[in-house]
Amino acid sequence: MGAKIAIVGAGPSGCYTAQALLKRAPDLEIDIIDAQPVPYGLVRYGVAADHQGTKGVARQFARLFTRQNARFHGNLRLGHHITLPDLRRAYDVVVLATGLAGDRALGIPGDGLPGVIGSGALTRALYEHPDAAALPSLGAHPVIIGTGNVAIDVLRLLAKTPDELHGSDLGPAPTDWLAAQEIRQITVVGRSRASAARFSPVMIKELAELSRVDLRLRFPDDAEALNTAVAATSGPLPVDFRFESRPVALEQVDGALRLTVETPAGPEQISASSVISAIGFVCDGALDRAALLQEADAAPPGNLYTAGWFRTGSVGAIPQCRDEAQALAVEILDRITPDVTKPGRAIFAAHKSIVDFDHWQRLDALELSSAPGNRCRQKITCREELLNPATHEDA
Amino acid sequence: MKIAIFFGTETGNAEMLAEDIATGLEAEHETSLADLADSSPEDLKVAELNVIVCSSYGEGELPASAKPFAAQLADSQPDLSDVRFAIFGLGDSEYAETYGFGSMKLAELLVARGARALDERPVHDAASADLPEDVALPWVTAIIDGLAT
Repeated sequence: MGAKIAIVGAGPSGCYTAQALLKRAPDLEIDIIDAQPVPYGLVRYGVAADHQGTKGVARQFARLFTRQNARFHGNLRLGHHITLPDLRRAYDVVVLATGLAGDRALGIPGDGLPGVIGSGALTRALYEHPDAAALPSLGAHPVIIGTGNVAIDVLRLLAKTPDELHGSDLGPAPTDWLAAQEIRQITVVGRSRASAARFSPVMIKELAELSRVDLRLRFPDDAEALNTAVAATSGPLPVDFRFESRPVALEQVDGALRLTVETPAGPEQISASSVISAIGFVCDGALDRAALLQEADAAPPGNLYTAGWFRTGSVGAIPQCRDEAQALAVEILDRITPDVTKPGRAIFAAHKSIVDFDHWQRLDALELSSAPGNRCRQKITCREELLNPATHEDA
Repeated sequence: MKIAIFFGTETGNAEMLAEDIATGLEAEHETSLADLADSSPEDLKVAELNVIVCSSYGEGELPASAKPFAAQLADSQPDLSDVRFAIFGLGDSEYAETYGFGSMKLAELLVARGARALDERPVHDAASADLPEDVALPWVTAIIDGLAT
């Protein structure tokens, strides 16, 4: 019987951590708990619906539960169904890999005005997360603030034609919503120079493939991928990349939003029907992240560790999660001292609402088999149906 | 037969496929499994057949765990004329322009050092419904059968 480890969060960081631990110590008793009734976190609800190849890592994570004896305990929310001190008492080690569910605020006057939406809130709704708010109306000219991969994901989905969403898992309601937006122009605003933007060049190449876009660049410099994309696109939908433009204020003027930016050419104003902020993620306040980070780093080391974006902030993509998980696994195994009196997963026995990995496999099969021809999956979207798929089958 | 299986991976998918191939062959063959990150070109000279699984990342680049190995090939200029290898790629046809380029680049580097590539280089498409192991296992079995006759 190996040591008992609880991992909170079944997203890429939690799963890679479990994978790295089990590779080195196959007899560990690993339990992965998640507030959602389904596993994979960001892979399911954060990776873009049209980036199915990226979601392929879920096949690795499934093996944790089907072959490597890790257990999934879904629909179990830390701080609601179970407290962190209880978890820490029951396990030799607890790893917090809950990610960062909150959108970082713009931090400028007017950033709370109606029509200002966080990219996380928007993509959660697009990707049909059970806790997501309704999809907002974006109007004819949304402005995206931020030039990382999330900003480009949002831009790409807004700019795609229905045909270009073929093979994705974008659900029927978000698909209808996209078609109904009637967007006539999109502006992307970023503080950095074009050549210093954080998105991957391959994301810009992907934009250049879209039939509708006409990419344009304010303050160009030697950003090769962008310059190539600008030259290669001439569709009916203007997409203005405005670099070296630091947002300073948002106002409501005549029913529209007005964004003021500082640029090398002085202040400029951009009119927007909506503003989507995509400048990173923060803790949503469900946990006291600062205190927990401090405690996890405390000496002498206790039994609390943090992983992924919860630990590092919202930097790095999936490969970085994997690298960090491998380092974390080594660190944990160096220090762990199993205590056979720890009850481990026995403390979940009282929670009848927990769903396991078999439950997910039934949902997964149902979602795959109910996908229409132009989609690879049709997600079950509401919590009740995720918990009771029978109600979905009768629908 | 003595078969050495190597993988170059960025997110772990190529590693998983390499493990599947090792599992599929170990009953009948003497197999070894290693990350290219932990290997040197000299390690290709041990087995009768080297099977390499290699993904692509970003703009058709080599995956992270294959990069140090590729650098060694370039720096040490080893003579690999006695080396036989078969390479299987992982790619995503959504990125058509650079589809499977990671495995292609690695194959070219090996051939440039004199190694002999067996068979064509299949690439599993992440955008397809096929499972990589369902494509790779028959492929590797056919290669081994071809060598045995």
